[in-house]
Amino acid sequence: MVSAMEIYMLLPKTNCKKCGLPTCMAFAVGLLGREKKIEECTPLIEEKKYEAKLNKLREVMAPLESASETGLIIHPEKCFGCGNCVVACPVNVAADPTHCGVGLGPQSDKVILKVEDGVVVANNLEECKRFGPGRVLCNACTATCPSKAIEFV
Amino acid sequence: MAICTGCSLLCQDIEASVSEGKLTKAKNLCRKGHGHFQASFSERTSPMIGRKQVDLNQAIARAAEILRSAKSPLLFGWSNSTLEAQRVGISLAEKLGATIDDTSSFCQGSLMESILSGRLPSCTLDDVRNYADTSIFWGADPSNSHPRHLSRFSYYPRGEKRQKSYEEERTCLVVDVRMSATAALCKENLFRVSPGGDAEFIEAILSVLAGKIPRVGDKKKMIELGTMLKKTEWGAIFPGPGLVYSLQGNMEILEKLLARLNEITVFKVVPMVGHFNMRGFNELLREKTGHINRVSFKGGEIVHGPEQSVMTAAKSCDAALIVGYDPLSSLPFATAQALARLPLIAIDPHRSLTTDAAEVVIPAAISGLEAGGTAVRTDGVKIEFEPIIEPGLPADEQILKRIMEAI
Amino acid sequence: MALELSIITIRDIFQDEAGKKSRYSEEYKSQSALIILDKQDLAGLGVKDGQSLLVKNDVGSVVVSARLSEDTHPGLAFMPNSPWSNQLVSDATCEAGIPGFKGIKAAVQPAEASAAVTDISEILSRIKG
Repeated sequence: MVSAMEIYMLLPKTNCKKCGLPTCMAFAVGLLGREKKIEECTPLIEEKKYEAKLNKLREVMAPLESASETGLIIHPEKCFGCGNCVVACPVNVAADPTHCGVGLGPQSDKVILKVEDGVVVANNLEECKRFGPGRVLCNACTATCPSKAIEFV
Repeated sequence: MAICTGCSLLCQDIEASVSEGKLTKAKNLCRKGHGHFQASFSERTSPMIGRKQVDLNQAIARAAEILRSAKSPLLFGWSNSTLEAQRVGISLAEKLGATIDDTSSFCQGSLMESILSGRLPSCTLDDVRNYADTSIFWGADPSNSHPRHLSRFSYYPRGEKRQKSYEEERTCLVVDVRMSATAALCKENLFRVSPGGDAEFIEAILSVLAGKIPRVGDKKKMIELGTMLKKTEWGAIFPGPGLVYSLQGNMEILEKLLARLNEITVFKVVPMVGHFNMRGFNELLREKTGHINRVSFKGGEIVHGPEQSVMTAAKSCDAALIVGYDPLSSLPFATAQALARLPLIAIDPHRSLTTDAAEVVIPAAISGLEAGGTAVRTDGVKIEFEPIIEPGLPADEQILKRIMEAI
Repeated sequence: MALELSIITIRDIFQDEAGKKSRYSEEYKSQSALIILDKQDLAGLGVKDGQSLLVKNDVGSVVVSARLSEDTHPGLAFMPNSPWSNQLVSDATCEAGIPGFKGIKAAVQPAEASAAVTDISEILSRIKG
């Protein structure tokens, strides 16, 4: 996953404050935390000399764009389809105790994680413990993944 | 619901359907199982004699002819066939006076022998889910070989006596030469052994359990391990090929460790069989002959020993029937070479190095997917299944019956 | 220069998946024809991740690509269990009749620039003799 420093290196580094933040580094952190959008850095968008940087920045930020609102990213190409996350996720277990709870594939539509076509897919992310005002930093799915196929950003 | 025959866990909660020759919305299949199901659409075999396309009847007739005229044929493979097909295979060996052997012969056989003869205490994987608070993966990496092992049985699920989360209820340990994907899930509980050092490691555990200072390994870590073992209420050990190879098939020291552990608490051993029905073959042959593998029926007598193993028989037999397996890919070079020199008959749904070197190729339906039957899960539980697609191909069982009739 | 290493064969789910679909695909080749080396050994050979290595012993030889290990294990290398690793496995067995799939001794050296990763068709023709 891209770091704030890597993002910073692709910014104008002029600390012009047009984005509303005091420094480009702060803006980089804002981008990483998905509180800021690339378009808020107007010099980067408007000035031709930054074109290469802008393109590169869009490229490195693309995986972040696909992150769900909880910051959950699934890398299907790394996934073993083992179902560890399906069985460990507390929301899954509460929604489908007789299947997910005992190690079987879910039968309920209310679960977040399930395995389809050999890899994990996520639904109902608003149910995730990391979502909303009362969120907690649950890591049941990432901690049980043997291949770093799930991460939070 | 379908059954996955992609490995010996025989997962029973698979939802899959096939439309227009493609697998659609397959649910609960792991990556390995999904590959297994998808493989039904690629590299399928067709009946061949001497690399030329023939019809099925001709291929079966030629196979029967080769086996009939052979003086000492070898029948090998079997761990990817149903119990029904294996039963016919054993009868065929008897009828031909042939040597019969399966894949356990060069990997997990000694462990399976020890378990089936009761020298190692065993249990089902459902028992593991319901009762185990300690699971030990030893020379095994189920995340890669049996992907749903941890989620269905050994680490993450809740069970009768294990109602809380895995963090509260279960401890997983890995004994391995490397940081495997499974070991990464149990980080601080990886106990590294040097290659071939498992017997020494067991001696060290026995020392610790006897209150002595271990001679090998990190002493502090070994003492911690001893404490974890003693504190276990109900433990399960899953030995993989890594342990069996390291012990060179000598199970006595493992039996000694289990006997000692069971003086303190409950410890069981559940094998990690690769192919979906290796255990089934071992059980069937044992029922019939008293031996799990490596049996010759020559002259109507049952002879068992290393001479009857595929490793030796490949060099001494004069024809071979290979069922559902690719020894040319999977066995040591010289053994593959010895097999390739023989008139080979390959019964297989898929093209492989073995079918490409075979005199006769007979296509078969894929068990579980295209043919029903019964198989024995790695822990001994018998599981029946129905096919989810009907491709109109005969199953191993029918092919073997027809060969037998033609002989 | 060549390094004498001990090779242990392992299971890999991606290789397994590819092999179930086809023994002849590029995917199966790229997941099988590889050797995972410790950082120190890779540096000792003067090669980088992805470069070709010649792995050779009394049984046979194969050209496979080098992979940098995430783990530390100097002197020890890993190969997925495959027709490529079996080119190096002796048919000599221990008393119990098990061949040495684990702990294969072999010399590893950078492959010549002209040497391509061994193809499965080459392996099959060697087996057929």
